[in-house]
Amino acid sequence: MENLEIEGSHKNFFIPSVSFNAKTGICELSGESFLEDTVEFYKPLINWVEDYIELVHGPLALIIRLTYFNTSTSRSILDILNILKDYEESGGEVVINWHFDENDIDMEEDIDDYIIDTGLDINKIPF
Amino acid sequence: MDKAENAYQMYSDYIDSTIISYNGPFDAQVLSVIAENIEYSLSNNPRVSKKIFKIFIELAQNISYYSAEKQKNEEGNFFGSGILMLREMVDHYSFSTGNIVEKHQVLPVIQKCETINMLDREKLRQYKRKLRNMPSGTPGGGNIGLVQVALTADYPLEYEVVTVDESTSFYILNVRVNKS
Repeated sequence: MENLEIEGSHKNFFIPSVSFNAKTGICELSGESFLEDTVEFYKPLINWVEDYIELVHGPLALIIRLTYFNTSTSRSILDILNILKDYEESGGEVVINWHFDENDIDMEEDIDDYIIDTGLDINKIPF
Repeated sequence: MDKAENAYQMYSDYIDSTIISYNGPFDAQVLSVIAENIEYSLSNNPRVSKKIFKIFIELAQNISYYSAEKQKNEEGNFFGSGILMLREMVDHYSFSTGNIVEKHQVLPVIQKCETINMLDREKLRQYKRKLRNMPSGTPGGGNIGLVQVALTADYPLEYEVVTVDESTSFYILNVRVNKS
């Protein structure tokens, strides 16, 4: 299984950096996310996670370091988290570390909302 | 008006300044230029800059998608158009948008604002989670942008609808963010 790498950029739209590693199961999503077509951008990420669960069936660590995402992105993040929740419930090993600026109260609330929404143990890591 | 009030008025007028104002189609290029302007103009206050930026993206996207008035951008593609204004007041920033809506959209728009303003923060977060769990494009659900705007702002949403003609109205939304 191939790794998934996308280089982030901050131009007209904000493309987050993506680094999903099939060997280690470490999936990093960082930067800012505001896209022309959010669903289109996140589809390969969701497919990758589904393939990893099916083919590799190993531990998966999602590391999020997003400093900004719009509401349309927040739906796609929820989609990914729901897949991880299902994986965890079927016996998969899942770790989620969410790094956020300790001064960004809104971001911390967003993370709490995902914890309530999904029932996942998301580790909140302030920096 | 007594002297103190007079002096305060002078002070308010002095500090009340327009930082950004725009009228036209909300395409990607425009969004990007305004976003850069916000980051630059408010760079001395990261908290406010981030909040205004978040509010801007959601409101601009709403206009881009939902404004009843479409205008061509430089590439000849049509985008929803409207106005936008960011002003600095004594103790807060005031962010306003305005766009044309069809008559039949007026009631749903007002109801959405009223619903949002009725809810306290916890209830508003619940509402956002509920909407987010519905597939986007669901009637009555879908768009959570305005809920996010209310969660980001420091005051309730202020809105006004002005009748333009028998089929359209002008919908104005004002959002305030404290300086500290």
